[in-house]
Amino acid sequence: MLRLIGRRLLLMVPTLILASMLIFALAEVLPGDVARSILGPYATQEQVDLLNQRLGADRPVYERYVDWAGGFVTGDWGDSLLFDEAVLPLVMRSLGNSLLLAGFALVLIVPTSIAVGVFAGLRRDSLLDRGITVSTLSMTVIPEFVSGVVLLYVFAVWLKWLPVTALPPSGSPFVSRFYYLILPAIPLMLLELGYIARMARVGTVQVLAMPYIRTAVLKGLPRRRVIFGHMLRNAMVPTVTVIGTQIGWLIGGLVVVEVLFAYPGIGNIMVQAAKNKDLPLLEASVLMVAILYMVSNLIADIVVALLNPRIRMGG
Amino acid sequence: MTTDQYRREYAEHLIEQCKKGHMTRRQLLVRASVFGLSATVAGQMLAACGGSEEETTGGGDSGMPDPVMGGTIKLIGPAPITDPDPVTIYDQGGIVLVYQFLEYLIDLDNSNGLKPKLAESWTPDETGSVWTFNLRQGVTFNDGSPFEAEDVITSIERVLDPANGSGALSQLSGVLSPGGARAVDQYTVEFTLDKPYADFPYMVSSGNYNTAILSRNYTGDIVKNPVGTGPFMLTDYVTKQKATFVKNPSYWGKDAEGRQLPYLDGMEYVMVEDNSAQNLQLQSGAVDVQPQTVFQGAQALFGDPNLRVDIYPGTGIREVAFNMNVEPWKDNKALRQAVAYCLDREAINQALYDGRSNLGYDTFWEPTVFPGSPASTPRAQDYDKAKQLLSDAGYPDGLDITLTHAKYLENPQYAQLIQDQCKPAGINVKLDQLSYEAYYAGDDADYYGTTPWLNAPMTITEWGSRPAPGIFAAAMLLPDAVWSSSHWNNPEWVSLFDQYQSTADEASRTDIAAQLSSIQQDDTPILLAFYITQLRTQKKNVYGIQGPGSFYCDLSQAFMTA
Repeated sequence: MLRLIGRRLLLMVPTLILASMLIFALAEVLPGDVARSILGPYATQEQVDLLNQRLGADRPVYERYVDWAGGFVTGDWGDSLLFDEAVLPLVMRSLGNSLLLAGFALVLIVPTSIAVGVFAGLRRDSLLDRGITVSTLSMTVIPEFVSGVVLLYVFAVWLKWLPVTALPPSGSPFVSRFYYLILPAIPLMLLELGYIARMARVGTVQVLAMPYIRTAVLKGLPRRRVIFGHMLRNAMVPTVTVIGTQIGWLIGGLVVVEVLFAYPGIGNIMVQAAKNKDLPLLEASVLMVAILYMVSNLIADIVVALLNPRIRMGG
Repeated sequence: MTTDQYRREYAEHLIEQCKKGHMTRRQLLVRASVFGLSATVAGQMLAACGGSEEETTGGGDSGMPDPVMGGTIKLIGPAPITDPDPVTIYDQGGIVLVYQFLEYLIDLDNSNGLKPKLAESWTPDETGSVWTFNLRQGVTFNDGSPFEAEDVITSIERVLDPANGSGALSQLSGVLSPGGARAVDQYTVEFTLDKPYADFPYMVSSGNYNTAILSRNYTGDIVKNPVGTGPFMLTDYVTKQKATFVKNPSYWGKDAEGRQLPYLDGMEYVMVEDNSAQNLQLQSGAVDVQPQTVFQGAQALFGDPNLRVDIYPGTGIREVAFNMNVEPWKDNKALRQAVAYCLDREAINQALYDGRSNLGYDTFWEPTVFPGSPASTPRAQDYDKAKQLLSDAGYPDGLDITLTHAKYLENPQYAQLIQDQCKPAGINVKLDQLSYEAYYAGDDADYYGTTPWLNAPMTITEWGSRPAPGIFAAAMLLPDAVWSSSHWNNPEWVSLFDQYQSTADEASRTDIAAQLSSIQQDDTPILLAFYITQLRTQKKNVYGIQGPGSFYCDLSQAFMTA
């Protein structure tokens, strides 16, 4: 088990190096330039050149990369070119905000979707099962910016049950943040519900057909014990794997939701940095998201291994 | 002749023009303001003209209640692209923010006329090449230091220095050179221009937004050190989230009754990028004012019983340029005109702006938006004429053209309309839609020679409001203008334009404008189908916001009733 974790952690290093190079290379191909973003389309070429020189953005790409990478590993992440701020605290603060939102969304998503999926699986092919499958699947195809706007209109503008912003006024107690995060979390939940519930349903249906479940039923165990004691543990293996990979999707969803709700998270920062070629900021935020993605996948694998001893042995 | 004599004569000249019916009363007021004639003098001039009151434009504050003191107003708009620096800002978020705590020598009023701010009055010499500005006395910066001529000189010199990267430099180049500003005494500044320029006051007004007056000690970090003379003081700035202001207790401004301004205790600017999210916040009541409301998606705001949408005579445009460096537009006036006659401008206005914008006919001298302009000749959709012109142009069987534009604001819809309306005449328009960033991107080594907005054969470029037609024309129609997408070069027009800029005499100026306008229209280097009306949305209990919409949201006399 420890070997599995160690190997996976080691694999992360080359992946991250490759990702950081890719970001630099892609940013080179992207249109635009940072001094032009700062000074606007009406500044003269000379003015833009001068600023690029001052920012060091006119140096060859490999030189900038080596410089940046050297700083990054020693903890000097540099300053944002757009904002008068150091990258490290800015990214960490934004990441903290995003994790709070994503974590809150996951707390809503995981139990709800597993409950819905297992419920549908237990009533396989009933009207209810089909209703749940169709409705959760249709929700996954509604883009977050559509569901977000509709939810905002209904719950914040029309009914006025929930706040329209994603952040409480400064000075509010920390707990009040969750109340403000309900609306932004729902579009994320709608997006993920369909995938995870479907996996939970499939897992349930498959496990229910296994001989050991039949044995458990036949030996007279109460239904509750069959479901919670025997079925759930085995039915959850594919679901956990999917949850791990869906965290990546969740972060993609965050970009949209954070922009719509003006939430100061990592998604919002990434969009700004990419649009304006703020490379130090873009690199740091994308790498943090990459690390998050890999760690969540690793955790999913560990949980799967714990659920299924055969994987543990093979590792 | 002394300056006073000259001003008196100019005032008499304006009254004469007005009496003869060559100018409307609104035009007279705008021209009087450019020449620094005070509101009292302008009032006397209007009385001398006689005639009836004209409707005033802008603002919806009819039946305004008595001001209420105190309270905080929340504005909503996009975040500045970078942390704002007054010397380089160019985007709405940056300008709205800076405008709350910094001031200009001159401000724009609700109909793009000029009103004194840090300058109390200004006068040109007889040639129009030396302008003297008398500064307001007793004004202090919010750090306690006095506002004097030295601050004006350093502020203007700062934007003239290429190393500072100010967009204002492009507007001032050829008009004012470094060293052209001089302090006559503590409260008098003299600008010696490179050439006579009748519209110079606009160049140092809020219309040229990088010319905000900063303290002479300004070192470049306005967010951490927000020193200004404006009605509010920046107390907190959270990047991409919000900016908080409190009132400046030592602000110089007083209202008509002598009450201390501003009325409000403070204001907050909430930064939200997404337009529909902004509208939802307004509708939910979380914020009070949206300085710039975009037409797309504004229908819900028009119908909301708690909100009021004010309409201002904006001068923003979408320039459709024919690049005359390349085929098929090069040396082919008939072809350019053919496209112009395909457009149904009424239908475009209806589709894009709910019919609320002013129509344009491919010239900058449009009397509906720029008072004092000669009448232009309307251009209605006329397919017979378009086909005839197409045939004259050497394309009797029609042709294929490409229209390049950014996926930004209403440009995609506008491009679509042009495509649809050109088709019946046999002109097949292929749309080349780029991202906003790609449209304005260019090679580092030669930006101006490579960027699509200045080099594609036919383009749509969005331009914000400019307060006078000459400022638009100088920026995009002169052969040496760096932002010329059409690369038009008509020597007759260029020499007339030179005369226009240096002529103060109103009759000859109108005369020259008429010629400029008709040459521009006939040659059709660019299509100007409309001038976009500006919308500002606020809660119904918010009153007293000044300024001609969007960027300039003057809250010094704003207040909220219960």
